[in-house]
Parts: sequence; C-alpha cells; structure tokens
Amino acid sequence: MSSCKLAALGMANALGGNTAEIAPRLFAGESGLVERRNAVPDRAMYLGEVRAALPDIPGQLARYRCRNNALSLAALRPIEEQIRACIERVGRHRVAVIFGTSTSGVSDAEAALRYQRQHGDLPPGFAYAQLEFGGGAGFVADYFGVTGPTYAISTACSSGARALATARSLLHLGICDAVIAGATDTLCNLTIFGFSALQAVSDEITNPCSANRKGLSLGEAAALFLVTRESGGIQLLGVGESSEAHHMSAPDPTGAGAEAAMRGALADAGVGAADVLYLNLHGTGTPLNDSMECAAVARVFGLETPCSSTKPLVGHALGAAGATEAGFCWLALAAARNGELPLIPHRWDGVRDPEIPAIDLIDGRRRAPFRGRPLVATNSFGFGGNNCVLVLGGEG
Amino acid sequence: MSGATVIRTAAWAPGIETEDALHAWFAAPRPLAADGHPEAKFLPAMLRRRCTPLTRIMLTAAYGCCDEAELGSVRTVFASRHGSINESIDLLESIAAAARVSAATFSHSVHNAQAGLFSIAADNRQASSSLAGQEDSFPAAYLEALTLLQRSPKQKVLLVMGDVPLAATFAPLIDEPPASYAVGLLLAASGKGRRVDIDLAPGDETVASPPWPAAFELLRWLHDGEPRLIIPTPKRRWIFTAS
Repeated sequence: MSSCKLAALGMANALGGNTAEIAPRLFAGESGLVERRNAVPDRAMYLGEVRAALPDIPGQLARYRCRNNALSLAALRPIEEQIRACIERVGRHRVAVIFGTSTSGVSDAEAALRYQRQHGDLPPGFAYAQLEFGGGAGFVADYFGVTGPTYAISTACSSGARALATARSLLHLGICDAVIAGATDTLCNLTIFGFSALQAVSDEITNPCSANRKGLSLGEAAALFLVTRESGGIQLLGVGESSEAHHMSAPDPTGAGAEAAMRGALADAGVGAADVLYLNLHGTGTPLNDSMECAAVARVFGLETPCSSTKPLVGHALGAAGATEAGFCWLALAAARNGELPLIPHRWDGVRDPEIPAIDLIDGRRRAPFRGRPLVATNSFGFGGNNCVLVLGGEG
Repeated sequence: MSGATVIRTAAWAPGIETEDALHAWFAAPRPLAADGHPEAKFLPAMLRRRCTPLTRIMLTAAYGCCDEAELGSVRTVFASRHGSINESIDLLESIAAAARVSAATFSHSVHNAQAGLFSIAADNRQASSSLAGQEDSFPAAYLEALTLLQRSPKQKVLLVMGDVPLAATFAPLIDEPPASYAVGLLLAASGKGRRVDIDLAPGDETVASPPWPAAFELLRWLHDGEPRLIIPTPKRRWIFTAS
C-alpha cells in the first residue's frame, strides 16, 4: 500500500466555477442541468454546462487556445498560488502533469473544420496542440512552466480516476515530487451525437437506479488536484482496476468487472467494505449500468453502505467524471466535523427498480458518524470495459 | 531513476513484418513507410471487421509479444499520440454533413479502442491504461507501464506504442515523419532479461531526434547493446540506460 496527499482541489462544473460555489449545492443535492432542445435534431436533452465565463488563454500559449483548456484554467485559478508555491519548493523539473480527458479540444476542432469548409484553409493560428489528446496536459505543464512527465490518460469514462492512480504511482516511483492531476472534458457534438446514436441519452434529467431511468445526461467539468507525497490531510489510499473483455460500449451485465475493481481498491487501501462511509456510484442512469453496478455494489458492500450518483447534479462528464467524483468525495471529507461526514444526496424520483438490489441510496441531507479516519470510495467505469475505483481517506 | 526488465519485444511497420526484416532495418535504419497495415488474422473475423488500420497494427505487435497464457494475464498500456483522431475527424464531418453518426464507429473511436478490443480478443480482464503525450508519448508510455508494475509487481505489463499518419487536414500542422507502426514491449518488475531504466532531464534543443519513431529507436538501441539512449523531445531529454 502506498498513499499520497490530495493537497488541493480546483473544480468547475454545472454546479459552479469553484469549490466554494459547488460544495453547498452538492450537499443540497441541487441539479445544475438545463434543458436543451436544439442539441440534436428532434430530441430534447438535459446538459450539464459550465456557465461561468472562462478565462482567456494567455497569448504566449495561443497554440493551446480551446474551450477544454480554458475550463482547466478556470478550475486551476483558485489553487494557482498553492501550486506555484509547491513548484517553488520542489523545482519545476520535479512536477508532473497527468491529465484525464476523452474529448480534449474536439469542440474547437469542429469549429476549425467548419471554417475550413467555408474558406478552404484551417483558421489562422489553429494548432494541433489544441486538438490532440495530449494537448490538455501540455497546456497545464506550459502554463506553470513545469517539465516533469506530462501526459494524458484517455480510457473513456475512467480517465480521470486513472490519472489520480498514475499520479500516486509516479510519486511512489520517485520520478517526481508533485503532480498536477485530474481531468477536463467539454461538451461537444462528437459526444452529444455519439451517445444519442447509442440511444443512451435521456430526455429527462438522468434518474439513476430508478425503475423509470431512461439514460444518461451529458455534462462538462474540470477537476484538478495538487498531489504530493506528504502525509496527513486527504489521501488517495486505494486503487482498483479491471478490464471487462466484454463489449466496447456496454458493461458486462453480471458486474464482474465492476466488482473486481471495487474489491481491488479496498484490498489496495487495506480496508474492509464496512469501513467505507460513502460510495459515489458511477450511476449513469442507463438501464444496464445501474443494474450491473447495483448488483456488484450489493455483493461487495451489502445493502447498508450509503451511496449516491452525482450524475443528476452535473451530468456525465465522461473523461472528467472520475476526477470530478473524486473531487466530490474530497469535498465531503474536507467538510467532516465532530465525527460526522456530510453525505451527498442521490437525486432521483425515488421509484425503486424491483430488478436491482435495494442498496442505500441517500435521500436528502444525511450525515454518517465515524470514529478514526473517514473513508469514502468512488466508482468509474468506461467504454472498452475499463474500470477504476478509488478509495480516499480524510483526517482521523 | 526507475526501470523494468524487458522480456520480449515485437514490432510492425510496412515492409518490416518479419524478424529478418527487422534485423535488416537495425543494420540500416531509415524512415518508416507511411501507409499499410497487417491483416491481423489472429483476430476473430467479427472483431476484425471493426478494426481500423491502427488497431490491426497495434494488436499485431501485442500478440507478437505474448504467449497464449500471457495474452490473458498481462496488464496493458496502449499509447498513441494520435490514436483514433482520424476517425473522430470523419465523425465530425458526418455530423456536419448529415447531423448523424454511426454508434459503432463512435464507440470504436475512443482513445482506448485498441485496449478495449485487445481485452475482448484476448479475454484479458486485467488493469489497462491508454495514453497520449504529444512528442513525449513513447517515454510517457514506458513510465505508465512502470506505474502498473508499481501497483502490482508480480504481473507482467504489455506496452504497445503505435500510430498511423495524421489525416491530411491536420498533418501539415505537425513536424513528424509520417509512419504507420507499432512496437510492443513485454515488461516485468524484475527477473531474467535486459533491465531498462528511464530518467528525464530538462530539454536541450541541440540534440536532434532520428527521423523514425522513438519506440523503433529504442528497439534499435536494445539490439545494438549500447548502455545509454537519449530520446530528445521539445521540452525534455529522456535517458534510457540498459544493464
């Protein structure tokens, strides 16, 4: 077992542009999704859009100018001082950037291709760094002037969780002394049309685990952490990973892959299922995900562990979902007081699906009492059957 | 400095499809051909139908590195600078032209498509990562493989790095010799084989990189038996040492 400190967190998503805005709405179970009738032809859907104005990319980094990087910058601004102080301390060559994404700058590539159709050439100043998968990591590294290992993890919807797992291992290997790690994904036509083609998008706010669930709601988000080798504070304690060997776009209905990842994370953290106070579900609201996930959760945790999906609050931010949900767990651990952990409500219509195990879905505002160190876990399951589960611990 | 033992290697590029052809390339290295892909007949026909040229190339290198038991038991790292970006560009064109995309093409255009298809073809349920790191993609992949070995030192890790040329729309934007290729490395935390350590130092713009992919340069270096290899990228110098 090796752990690392999640020393600082910056976020932006449909609930707000920084953690101070996001936290109260998160614990109240508010949804930031809004209805959009023109995203695809003949179909309404709810989207989790970031409404805050995004900062400009500085001129000397113009080749990285795209919405994805502007969103990363928005999330990083509130923790910029902490990051710069850390870089000062360890040296810019000893700071890595590990960045999850599934879209990178694709939304801006759409505009560039549109321009090209009209004018015959790509827009002036368009650079491949705006588009390529590794560009989001390169932008963050260049923004801070750090030259440690810098790359993007892209395993679809588990990307953000995997980025944190890699950060912890790089620190353990000694190849760097601090990591800026997390994920950013922005809404774009590619994913909106793609998930619509898969018949996976609900025309209502996603309703995970309900008998009436009709699919997912898409969102966009950035969640970036400063990760260090220090002890104390909020720590990443366990990582569990698996592949499914099943299907490119559908999970194994038995939940075997999800179960293996959850058991792996608990074993890696050296804790038991009963020690976990809160489990953040992948909970996409698609019929198959929720039935296989609840079955797997029931096998690993039983029916007593409080659970919620935060997808109805911010939408499914795909490559950024794992880091965003680790961020929500971080906010809960940071708000633990007097032996009580605030739990994040499960926002749904309350109609149980008789076909899936009745796990404890958190209704309204609740707190979980704890002794010792509070522990939480978060599930991320991606296309291609790529699963990653993280266990986080707070101050005891 | 951290490292691993290289148990086995494999490579594929147009015209470099056999051990003899690879040795001929080691003797006289030159830029790789831009286009071509293997049939990848070891894949079931149903699965192969959906495989892009990049997937066929990367899975050919993957299968070339593993015996039957290893195929199902290795943890994997699939790395590619461009991945399925050409398919994503086609999907964007389809949205612009017809306001629709194919569900199957979309789900096979994720950056971890090769990892997912390998998992299905090889019935592999182990941890898997997929990454991209601009000009640093190959050294980044080696580090990522080390992170998987760190988390589970008893399991071997299969690293596959591959790319195909970027679509014509964007190709002029990058300074990179176009190549279709993949290299596979089967790695272990310790044991019999060459140990290859990796370290990095700040960039030095005076060092030029060879006009073929870094992963092929590493194979050439391993074959030649030199103690040290420097892979220069715009921001970093990656230092590989063998013992």
